[in-house]
Amino acid sequence: MTSSGNAPGGFSFDNVIRNSMLQQKGYAPPTARKTGTTIAGVVFSGGVVLGADTRATSGPTVFEKNCQKIHYIADSIMCCGAGTAADTDATTQLISSQLALHSLATRRAPRVATALNMLKQMLFRYQGHISAALVLGGVDFHGPHLYTVYPHGSTDRLPYVTMGSGSLAAMAVFESKYKEDMTADEAKQLVYEGISAGIFNDLGSGGNVDLCIITKEGKELIRGYAKENERKYRRPAGYIFPHGATPVIAGSEQFKGPEKGFSVVAEVAPAQDTMDVSA
Amino acid sequence: MSVLRPNASVMGLPYTAPGNAPRGFTLGEHVDPEDPLEVGNSSNPHGKPRAIGPMGRRFQPYKNNGGTVVAVSGKDYSVIASDTRLGSGYSVPSRNVSRIIKLTDKCVLASSGMQSDIAVLHKVLRIRLTQYQYAHHQEMSLTAISQMLSTMLYYRRFQPYYTFNVLGGIDAEGHGWSYSYDAIGSHEKVRAVCSGTGQNLLQPILDNQVEFRQTAPEKKPEELSLEPCVELVKDAFTSAGERDIYTGDIVELAKVTAKGVEIEKFELRSD
Amino acid sequence: MRNFDFLDAEYAISGTRSDEARVSPDAIDLGLSNSLVVPQVDRPSSFLRDAFANVPEKDRIRFAHGTTTLAFSFKGGIIVAVDSRASMGQYIGSGTVKKIIEINPYLLGTMAGGAADCSFWERDLGRRCKLYELRNKERISVAAASKLLANTVYYYKGMGLSMGTMICGWDKTGPSIFYVDSDGTRLKGKMFSVGSGSTFAYGVLDQGYSYDMSDEEAITLGQKSIYHATHRDAASGGVINLYHVKEDGWVKISSEDMMVQHRARMAQIKAENETSAAVVAEPAAA
Repeated sequence: MTSSGNAPGGFSFDNVIRNSMLQQKGYAPPTARKTGTTIAGVVFSGGVVLGADTRATSGPTVFEKNCQKIHYIADSIMCCGAGTAADTDATTQLISSQLALHSLATRRAPRVATALNMLKQMLFRYQGHISAALVLGGVDFHGPHLYTVYPHGSTDRLPYVTMGSGSLAAMAVFESKYKEDMTADEAKQLVYEGISAGIFNDLGSGGNVDLCIITKEGKELIRGYAKENERKYRRPAGYIFPHGATPVIAGSEQFKGPEKGFSVVAEVAPAQDTMDVSA
Repeated sequence: MSVLRPNASVMGLPYTAPGNAPRGFTLGEHVDPEDPLEVGNSSNPHGKPRAIGPMGRRFQPYKNNGGTVVAVSGKDYSVIASDTRLGSGYSVPSRNVSRIIKLTDKCVLASSGMQSDIAVLHKVLRIRLTQYQYAHHQEMSLTAISQMLSTMLYYRRFQPYYTFNVLGGIDAEGHGWSYSYDAIGSHEKVRAVCSGTGQNLLQPILDNQVEFRQTAPEKKPEELSLEPCVELVKDAFTSAGERDIYTGDIVELAKVTAKGVEIEKFELRSD
Repeated sequence: MRNFDFLDAEYAISGTRSDEARVSPDAIDLGLSNSLVVPQVDRPSSFLRDAFANVPEKDRIRFAHGTTTLAFSFKGGIIVAVDSRASMGQYIGSGTVKKIIEINPYLLGTMAGGAADCSFWERDLGRRCKLYELRNKERISVAAASKLLANTVYYYKGMGLSMGTMICGWDKTGPSIFYVDSDGTRLKGKMFSVGSGSTFAYGVLDQGYSYDMSDEEAITLGQKSIYHATHRDAASGGVINLYHVKEDGWVKISSEDMMVQHRARMAQIKAENETSAAVVAEPAAA
């Protein structure tokens, strides 16, 4: 067994045996943030359109209402992720950096198929334990490409794809409305409708529709292409808590007001959708 | 024994001896391993439903269809509300299923939990109230209903109705009261209560804004009157709809006052 | 003499473990049959256990649980004191539960274990005590009342009832306390504490108890015992309710949030620390 001190990098399996013992004894493992998700993509003449919803859940609770599920791989390659949020984030970032190195080493613009191979090789190695279901799309030297990658490492190459818990809702729309050689606007509208179907009919998906249009001229990421789930009501009176409304325990006067000044012990970086994999 | 107990042979249907009761249940129902609401789902940490016998899966009599119910009462009013989303796993079989029932002109019940049990419970309650009306030539009082509901739930102690109820209304003196229940009839008379999938989100808001918990005594505002209370319930529901995937679509809100019951609806997000 | 058996026939909760309580699938049970429904499965007694086996806490039907209750007799009668928290797993279902059940003006029952089980069967006990009075033209003894309850829960043994209760009252024999639980145990005693916080309550109770204590001392001891249990047991808390059973029936003495006791104790500790600090400081100054 490797100890984390001199591990060559990658995953640490130090606690696997301990954790399985704990689980057997009935301790619930911490729940990962899942993206019960609708992600989708469509090929049109001259490019691809990728789409995603923006809800992240943990069990029945909405963790994040506007997260970004379309991840950067390269300048003209993007990847939508469904599954465990940490896995999709880490996987896409890892592949993104490997692809950048590969591109520098080969002095060629990265190709979608290269990213696809890297992804499937990595996911296959971990036998589905990395819970990442992906829609990979982009434009390269050979033209537009669109793939799906399953957590176990199998892949499909198709003109229109969906993934995640809302994939059936989105695919229902695609199956009835997809045409070959659509214009960019038609493709955008189709993907929007598919994601929207997922958002409304799948409880794991929700929030806004994000789109990303990639052509050989470049890419455009549209956060909040459609915002159909804004809060509908706010109490007119609001909530007013007068000073001193919350009783303070006697003896804690030194924390009473900001006029005495707080000392900042540590600055916590704001939560982001991306994950630091540098370690 | 009461003569009212229905008997299969009386109803002209073949009587099944108890020992030979059909075992239709062993067929089981579909168990979605990804379904966070599926009762019994985490019996299988590896995601595979446990098969028992050649016929199918383990007996799964209960399922939670989600939903949130609230009752808030003041001096002379009671507000009872429930959303109308019916969830099942990650699907929404219906966006407009009523979970509240007007029992009398002064009493409204809201139930969350399993839809089929809610339907039966409401049906039985309605029958019992009608019988009471014919026997006594008057409506059942709030206190009487609250006790009857408790007893009815307890009679199912060993096979409970999978329902979480809140009852609200006006008592004989004209004061508003809410009652909270557990699934087998333990109940308590309170000011504000919430049950269902949004309980953890809503109850703290109600504790703070209705009962002014954790508020210094000299800073306690006046008690809420009807309209501010309705606004609070709407806002709290909207907030629950933002964060609980099983709460959404529409809220039915019943206002009970001396004038009777008035029901209004308002929208939540539907994703 | 008038016979009241007809009341029993009509309202008694019948032997429900037999097949007669079954409901045929083509009719609804209106809850009018005065009987508890028994699930139509091979092993009805383990129905709930089976249906929720291996289900995580959050998905189960959660019943209200968790408690500290106590009762002790002394020169001046019986003190009954309880907390008021109802826990449902991690969730605090309520902080204002009435865990002392007023069975009738002379009898009190306490609630520990399943809230619904205790309140239902003690309410039923009240009904049966009334019938006893009507039949016999005198009040039921505490021993008899507690035995009615013990027999009832013994009948359902193994079906999953959960209750630990103390039946407290004053009858011809004086004050008496009976502990009755869902296993069928029935014990007569001078002092009991039941529930998850009982060990803490016993500790305080044992070190402060004396038969000859005054009413005031007994009341303070009861409150303190519950307070210390709410302090140390996460499943106990809320309001401390205290009743005093006397010869002419029970009296409700107090209903006070445990935080009141807590603040008083904290203030006392602070004052004591200051005094001792002053005592230590003096010789240093000298």
